[in-house]
Formats: sequence, C-alpha cells, structure tokens
Amino acid sequence: MEMKRRIGFIERGTEFLKLKRDHLAKELTASIEVLKGRRSLLLENLRGAYRAVTAAYISLGPTEVRSQASSIKAGLELEVLPRAVMGVRYPFIKVEKKPQIAGELDITLSEAAAKVLAILDDILQLAEFEARAERIADELGKTNRKVNALENTIIPSYRQVIKFIEDKLDEESLEELVRMKLIGGALARRRE
Amino acid sequence: MSPGLSYVVIKSHALMADLLTPEQMRNLAERESLEGFVEQLAGTSYGRISVDTDGDVSLALEKVFYQKFIERMMAIVDLAPANIGGFLQSYYYQRFEVINLKRIIRGKYSGIPIPQIVESLIPITPYRVESYEDLVEAESFKDSVRRLKGTPYASLVASLDLSDKYDALWPLEIALSHLNAGAVFNSLKRLPQRDRGLVRKIVQAEADVENFLVAAKQRGSRDRAHRPEEMFPATYGITIEMLREAIGAEDIRSVIEGLTPPYNEILVPLYEGDVALIRSRIRQHVYDIARKGRTANDFGFNVVMAYLVFSEIEKDDLVGIAWGKTQGIPAEDILKYLAIPGSV
Repeated sequence: MEMKRRIGFIERGTEFLKLKRDHLAKELTASIEVLKGRRSLLLENLRGAYRAVTAAYISLGPTEVRSQASSIKAGLELEVLPRAVMGVRYPFIKVEKKPQIAGELDITLSEAAAKVLAILDDILQLAEFEARAERIADELGKTNRKVNALENTIIPSYRQVIKFIEDKLDEESLEELVRMKLIGGALARRRE
Repeated sequence: MSPGLSYVVIKSHALMADLLTPEQMRNLAERESLEGFVEQLAGTSYGRISVDTDGDVSLALEKVFYQKFIERMMAIVDLAPANIGGFLQSYYYQRFEVINLKRIIRGKYSGIPIPQIVESLIPITPYRVESYEDLVEAESFKDSVRRLKGTPYASLVASLDLSDKYDALWPLEIALSHLNAGAVFNSLKRLPQRDRGLVRKIVQAEADVENFLVAAKQRGSRDRAHRPEEMFPATYGITIEMLREAIGAEDIRSVIEGLTPPYNEILVPLYEGDVALIRSRIRQHVYDIARKGRTANDFGFNVVMAYLVFSEIEKDDLVGIAWGKTQGIPAEDILKYLAIPGSV
C-alpha cells in the first residue's frame, strides 16, 4: 500500500515535471527567436557605433579622443539582481548610473558617444536575455533528465516491485486458499 | 634678423618637395601593417622612425608627426619677417596651446596622473602661459584655471561659476575656443592687407563649418539656454540666421540644401550622420584654398601659408593612418577620412 501511495506521488510529480519541461521549452523557443532578432539588430548597431568611433579616432587623433573621453564624469554603474521564471534564477541588470559627459565633446566624438550610449541598454538587455536563455536551457536539460529517469527507470522499477509483491501476495493467498481447502476437506472427512 | 619674405618664399617652395604627394599618402594608407607603413615612410622625408613599442605605438607616432610639423613651422617662423612670423606663431601656437590647456583641464578634472597629462600635451614650448607643468601640478582643475590669472586666458576664471553651476567642463572649453578664435582674428591684423585674403578664406571656411556642426549638435538639445549670438561670436558665409534655422530645423537636409557652395557640398555627410567625413572634406577644401592661393600668387606669402597648410593636413592624415594601422582598420575605411589622397 505504501509503495502504491509512493508511486502515485511519483507519477504526479512526473506530470508536474513534464508540465515544467513543456513550459521551459516554450520559454526557450520564444527566447531564442527574440535573441536571434535582437542579436542581429545589435550587431548592426554595434558596427555603426564602431564605424563612428573609428572615424572619430582617424579624424581627431588618438590623443585628442582619449583626452576628450576623460571628461566623462561618471562611469557606468550596474546592479545585478536575481529574478526567476519557473524557479529558474537568472540575473537582472539594473542600470544605476549612466556615463555623463562633462566636457564639450567634438561633434565627431559626441556622435560616436551617442551611438555607443544608445546601444548600451540593448547590450545589457541582450546579455540579460542570453543569461536567461542559458539558465532556462540548463534547467530544461535537468528537468528532461529527471522526467526520463522517472519515466524510464524509477517508475518501471517501482511498478516491477509492486507487481512482484502483488504476485507474491496472490501466490501466498492462493496457497492459503489451497491449504484452507485441504484442511477443510480433512476436517470434513474426519467428521464422517 | 629676417632674410626677408622672398627668401622665406623660396625656402617654402624648396620645402614643398619634402611634402608627401597624394599618391604617396595613398600608398601609406594601403600598407598591410604598421610595420609596412613605417617601412614605406622611411623612404620619405620623415626617414626611419623608431618608436618605443612598450606603450601605445599610435600615440608615439602621433607625437613624432606633431614634432615634425612644429619643426617645419618653426623653420619658417624663424626666417619670416617679424609680422608674418608673429602671425604664424600666433595662428599655430595659440591653437596648440588652447588644445593643451583643454587637455590639462580635462586631465585634472578626471584625476588623470600628472605624467599622463604631460604625455598628452602637444610638444610645444608654452606660448602665452609660463609653464604647463605649473598648471598640471595644480591641486584641481579649478586651481589650474585660477593659475591662468595674469595671462591672456585670465577671463577663463569667470567661466568657473558656470562650470560649477552645471558641474561640467564645457563652459571652460567653449570659453577657450572663443579666446582662440578672437586671438586668430586679432593676429590677422599683423599681416599686410594683401596677404590676409588666403588666411581669411581658410579661417572663415573652418569657422563656418564648425559653427554649423555646433548648431547641428544643438538640435534636439534644449537643456542649454545659450543664445545663438553667444554661441557663435563670429559668423561669415553661414550667417547667424542660417545657424538659428539649423538649430530649430526638424530636417537638417533642407537647411543644408539652402546653403551656398561649397558648404552645401561639404556638409552633405551630415545627412547620414558621418560627421568625421565633413572634417576630411573641410580639410580638402582648405587644401584646395591653399593650392589656389598659391597658384594665384606664387611669389608671396600665399606660398608660405600653403606650405604650412599642406604640412598640417599631412600631419593630420598621417596621425589617422598610423592609428588605423595599429588597429588593423582596412585601407578603404582609412582613406575615406583622409584629406590629401582625395584632393587629387
């Protein structure tokens, strides 16, 4: 009885894990679609920003670019917080402070800086999304392995044990019945 | 004592032969590597350059090209008659000094170590300040600015309040740029009337484009309560009304199309946001002005000015190529932003 109760519990758990697996798979597929789109857009924007920075360096010279870049008042400050989807924890990046330019940048450099700043959020979001997709993929793998182990190994072995016990019990009760019948027959014969 | 203008003109004619041709500049940009670039440069008047490879090679090369330009300029200044020498010194030295002062102020503001600030300075002897070291060693950028009292840059101290108010450096940088523009126009008076035309054309073309770029940068930024008259103390071919129109324009294209040549052609890359290309176009335009000025008067001051203009543009192009080579930038991306190869 205990074994049957336990296997019922395991089967219900397996069903939950299957639901989790399906949900994670759906999340992962959606994430991959978004990642593909965002990544190619970001790469295009990064190329644009890189071209602008390169042009600024060639136009102004490296010393001037470095000097003007030093007038950036505060660097980028980030806080990484935990978030969870279906129990999967992933990092969430919160921008505490964005870089601020204190000097009068040459327009060549300010264009480049504007392009880099514009994609900063995209870079952070993509990093967050990639980490999320990676964790979901990990968890999906683990869940899948658990479901497979439960479905293919643990549950069948429990079922085998239960069947063995049931067969044993059936056998014993049959023996008992036969014994009872033999005893009953013997007693009847003695009365006669 | 100066040997006279004629001697300087002949000397400038002779020195022109040392300048790199557009073809040579193109070849340098097309070298596969930095080593190839240095190797190719060894066959020119620059000779073999050896740089300390411990640090950033592009910075070391930039310094070498600046030194070469300053040597060329000083060779002319030393020989030129007092008025022309004085103008050239003021025109170039004042500009370089303003760049150095901006670098010192930025360096002090961001707490860069003193040797690094000194390293970033253009290698000139101080022109209108006593010593750069004194400014660099100040406790803060404010202290550096205060140490300018008693120099022609003393008015900068007044901009400290604005700098405090906005917690930014731009009020100081704008004030320095205005001081430089004023000094250049004042120094023009040292030249004889007949020689001012070429310099005036160059300065005005540069100022017009620079003003327009500043106006374009102001578009959409409403946080600065600057009046156009304050932002643009000197305007020429592009008037203050046009600049005002540019600041308020939704579409910059219509404003640029309304400008007269050469500005409507020079500023076209602004449509695509490629401001660096405008810089190379204005350099090409200045190169052309100098070349035409020299053609118009091949026996006067125009030749001297043309030689120095060509030299400075050569320096700027070489700095760009050197950086591009250290970064492995493809030749076509470097050539796009060079002035001399495109001036053929």
